[in-house]
Amino acid sequence: MNILRLHDLKKNYNGTYVLKGINLVIDEPQIIGYIGPNGAGKSTTIKILAGIIDSFEGEATVLGMDVRKDALQIKQSIGYIPEQAALYDVLTPLEYLRFTGRLYQLPDAVIEKKSWELLRLFELDEKANMRMTGFSKGMRQKVLLISGLMHNPDIIFLDEPLNGLDANAVILVKEILAQLKQAGKTLFYSSHIMDVVEKISDRIVIINKGETLADGTFETLKADAARGSLENIFTALTGDEQHQTTAGAFVDVLKS
Amino acid sequence: MEKWLLKIVHIFDGVFRRQGIDISQLYAIVETKMTLDKRRVYMNWRQSDQSDNKNHLLMVLAVYGFFSVFMGAMIFFLPSFILAMIFLHAYIIFMMAMTLITDFSTVLLDTTDNQIILPKPVNSRTLFMARQVHILLYLFQFTIAMCLIPVVCVGLKYGILTGLAAAITTLLSVLLAVFFTYFLYLLVLRFSSEARAKEAVTWFQIAMTVFFAVGYQIIPRMINMSEFADRFELHWYSYLLPPVWMAVALESVYTLQADFTHLLVIILAVSLPLLLFWILNKYLAPSFTARLSAINTEARDVSKKNQGVVRKSLITRLSSWFTRTNLSKAGFEMVWNITGRDKSFKLQFYPSLGYVFVFIFIFVFNSGRNVGASWNELSSTTKFLWFIYLPMFTVANALLFITYNENFAASWIYRSAPVKKPGELLLGGLIALFIKYFLFIYMAMLAISLYIWGWKILDDFLFGLANDYLCFLILGSIGKQYLPFSRQPNTRQQTGRFLLAILQMMIVAALVGMHYLVIKVPAALYVLLPVVLAACWLLQQNLRNLPWKKIAV
Repeated sequence: MNILRLHDLKKNYNGTYVLKGINLVIDEPQIIGYIGPNGAGKSTTIKILAGIIDSFEGEATVLGMDVRKDALQIKQSIGYIPEQAALYDVLTPLEYLRFTGRLYQLPDAVIEKKSWELLRLFELDEKANMRMTGFSKGMRQKVLLISGLMHNPDIIFLDEPLNGLDANAVILVKEILAQLKQAGKTLFYSSHIMDVVEKISDRIVIINKGETLADGTFETLKADAARGSLENIFTALTGDEQHQTTAGAFVDVLKS
Repeated sequence: MEKWLLKIVHIFDGVFRRQGIDISQLYAIVETKMTLDKRRVYMNWRQSDQSDNKNHLLMVLAVYGFFSVFMGAMIFFLPSFILAMIFLHAYIIFMMAMTLITDFSTVLLDTTDNQIILPKPVNSRTLFMARQVHILLYLFQFTIAMCLIPVVCVGLKYGILTGLAAAITTLLSVLLAVFFTYFLYLLVLRFSSEARAKEAVTWFQIAMTVFFAVGYQIIPRMINMSEFADRFELHWYSYLLPPVWMAVALESVYTLQADFTHLLVIILAVSLPLLLFWILNKYLAPSFTARLSAINTEARDVSKKNQGVVRKSLITRLSSWFTRTNLSKAGFEMVWNITGRDKSFKLQFYPSLGYVFVFIFIFVFNSGRNVGASWNELSSTTKFLWFIYLPMFTVANALLFITYNENFAASWIYRSAPVKKPGELLLGGLIALFIKYFLFIYMAMLAISLYIWGWKILDDFLFGLANDYLCFLILGSIGKQYLPFSRQPNTRQQTGRFLLAILQMMIVAALVGMHYLVIKVPAALYVLLPVVLAACWLLQQNLRNLPWKKIAV
């Protein structure tokens, strides 16, 4: 049984295809970096896999279950952590986690216990009873991470999970991801920059404009890029030369 | 308009320069702040109308101008000079203070200056003067909108001299309002945090909205109060109120009386506002600024004591009493918590709770005419039906309001979590609204009705409770279904709302008619109550099992 399988996945929004036939098979627990520039179709892919979008073309299965038919069962065994820290911020972390935990059908006592312990580990226990309106983006992201993982899912989809986290939190989350993998979980991780992904991913999938451009380890991709086949997109994602020229121009304008 | 206002300020350029103020910086700051004023979202105004770059401030000023027409009419038609003047000055002080508290609070409580302007090479005199000029211009615009028409009316009816004097006393009243506002803010900031202060502002805004609605009902009626005006006289304690000083001072100008009392009051009316304003500038404003820079340092957490304690709050207990499944508990607690905290929900919904009492007054007492007679024959009527059903109508509005939230994007969680029966979330939320808002008002209505009609209406209220719950379920079941807090605010109402509203009215009318039957034939109660309860149960089941495809996005 494949952990995850996409076959010729297409999605069109009002006549334009944002996904033009994605193929992907994951057979063993690993960390997959799903990389592409903004607007490449990363979030759409993840939303289809998480059962949030149910109208698409092609096939998508998670843990051997069809995303269209068994969405509820799939949702119970995956975790989804969206980008841009969207949560009901007038609630306190404890209230929010109780709310989402109940949506996952966890018993109240379990929710209560896990919330406290996880918040403590993220150093948010002192703020557990404070409304999140005053929280920084990093603090909200931590709460979202807890809410997406509390039901101990087998596959975890993360959409730009490190956005807005402070440097220490980034290190902590990376370590958590690594340990989750050792515990036999599959992590599907999207980002628009190569930076962090290259270090923790077992496998990197690059997509652009709804198509997969490359699929392999960081080393093989780098080798390919050197041979020229991937050069442009790779430069854009790792962002070296182009940024140097922009930065140079910026300083020049300041001088003028 | 701001260009025109700034031209006035330009007159003082020389004075500014002599004080070491950088003119171009001063105008840069003032102009920017005035642009911000125009774009700020004002209350008393539907948010949907404030979406783009229109000049919102101008519209707000127009509303105040419109209200001041009423005051002008009042001055013309109220025969008692002194009473009219008391009303006018009370109105100005009240409205000005309320405006400052509700709308200007963002400016007064603004701490962004500290981050944006202080790091730049602006000297403190320039910044201080820029703030003063901005606040004065803001006040000036509102003063004109509020006072111009009434003052002109005073001049027309009571002579130019009185009109000029009224211009001075209204300005003095504005000074008093400014002082009261600052004082109130200092008090709030002294004893609590910035977040608390902002919450207090929300309550003032709600009070303001209710006041507007009530004022709209009452001020036109005040014009016919000649009976009251004839009997009106000033007691010694009236002199404790600032509007009375202003009115008496004006009376002295109008009647050219100058006895001891009048002179004393004139001195009081002129000197006290000036003295208070001086105190404000000298002592209060600096400590206000100091306090503001203090609150900008991050608010500290206070609730350390609850750590690790699994505490059963009131809400958790309520949700376990009234709901059974995990999902409906989630819906119940979420709706309960967010409705109590979300500012825009509170501003939309809480004023309508205040209206309930106004409407009851209007319906039950036939527009307030001959209150005494209506009161005496009230106990022999069936008007308690208003008391039973009007609250339900009001609270049912909340069913629509809870579908909106500024954080609507957070509703992804409904779709990413394995939610089998979204209807349970809806039902939980509906029950939360019913318990939290409806029952509360219903109890108040019951208390009033028991006082008027006695114990014989108790069974009506019992039947009414079941009937109201049924109506509530019906209103919650027809139309498009949205999960709580999942819609973007300001999205347009879908078409067909009108037909839906008619349908709702008909259903509710039928149910109220049924109650009327119970009043006529008391035995019908024992037949109808079980029927109503059974209908409630059926509708609950129906809502609970609502499939995903019936949930609109």
